[in-house]
Amino acid sequence: MRKDYQLPKFYDRLVCRTGAVSQAVGSAYIELRNTKIICAVYGPREVAKKQEFNIQATVACELKFATFSCRRRRRHIQDSQEKEYSQIIVQALQPVVRLDKYPKSQIDIFITVLQNDGSVLGGAITAASVALADSGIEIFDVAIGCCLRQIGDLSLIDPTYLEEEGRLNNEEEDEIVTNANVTIALLPSLNQVSALIMNGELDVDSTQRIIKDCLEGCIRIYPVVRECLTKSLEEKMSRN
Amino acid sequence: MAAEVGNPVIPGQRLGSIDQFSAGLGTYVRQRHIYASLVGYKDIISQAGQLPKIQIKTGNVSCNLPTIGKVVTAKVLNVNPRFCRVLIICIGTTPLKEPFKGTIRKEDIRATEKDKVDMYNCFKPGDAVLAEVISLGDPRSYYLSTAKNELGVIFAKSTAGHPMVPISWTEMQCPHTEKIELRKVAGIKYWTDS
Repeated sequence: MRKDYQLPKFYDRLVCRTGAVSQAVGSAYIELRNTKIICAVYGPREVAKKQEFNIQATVACELKFATFSCRRRRRHIQDSQEKEYSQIIVQALQPVVRLDKYPKSQIDIFITVLQNDGSVLGGAITAASVALADSGIEIFDVAIGCCLRQIGDLSLIDPTYLEEEGRLNNEEEDEIVTNANVTIALLPSLNQVSALIMNGELDVDSTQRIIKDCLEGCIRIYPVVRECLTKSLEEKMSRN
Repeated sequence: MAAEVGNPVIPGQRLGSIDQFSAGLGTYVRQRHIYASLVGYKDIISQAGQLPKIQIKTGNVSCNLPTIGKVVTAKVLNVNPRFCRVLIICIGTTPLKEPFKGTIRKEDIRATEKDKVDMYNCFKPGDAVLAEVISLGDPRSYYLSTAKNELGVIFAKSTAGHPMVPISWTEMQCPHTEKIELRKVAGIKYWTDS
């Protein structure tokens, strides 16, 4: 675990690619340190049965951790954490997609976490919006996600799996150490936050600082995403 | 190819002010500025007497959805006395990746003598139909209409299994058995020209 508060200039490894799933309309593959996420977007297609008429498009998301992705083996069926993450991603991406452009249809986002080394939610949001941009579905902005783990006074941006689970080992029993996980989804060029998720205990003063750090973290990822999308555009153009 | 087109842009990128440009395909306007909503190249089209139009040129096939007024190609799934269910497989000339469901109601088949229409004399399951989208319909299907001369059945097989030849607005004939079957035939001279 990192010993002091630090804001690394960059991930050790940050890879972003499009076109990972050939059948999908759009897809993306993202690597944040050892966290590996693959995302596929299908649609706009017909809504699932038993849904009410909606003049706007609906965004549906299914996130799944691969059975081998975590320390403990995951089950094949979606568990409550995966359902929660899926719902958060839908909420983060609904304001991003131009829903009015696709009446009465559904946009499906499937995310598979191949390896979990922390910061999955942030990475999944980034991967999903890169896949959306790749699919040619009109979006307002490319949402970027970033995670932060707060342990006592220690802020760890882009936490690893161990850091996400970890607690500060304090000698004095009386001292209350706060632990929290924060995830933010930022629309960088519109400068809007589409999702803010906080789990745990935080005081007001540090919350402000943490959100600022998280936003900085998002902005750091943006150039990589941008480069990835322009590169995929050039490839597509040369193929045509 | 990329020589004449502009810079690559990604969604959310600001392209210009609406005082100087007008917003075209793949862009949106927010707070008096035009932003990109697609990945592509910035393309400026000058228009006489109007503001130049900014649009995005993409490498993707555009996402196609049935919208009101579009002519679609559909396959008839089943027919009943009030309506028939179809599967929209093509919008204009672009085939769809995934089909949409549609409905042609009895009153939308013909422009005149609507009350005398008999569904079974217009469509049979398996026919290919040109139709126009008239409404987004209910959650399950789009409402289509064939109430125009150029719309209707464009391909049908006879009971013997051979593709039939249209011989009038309401009849098609099997070239092998010479049996005449009834259909709401699309006016050939309209759709072969275009």
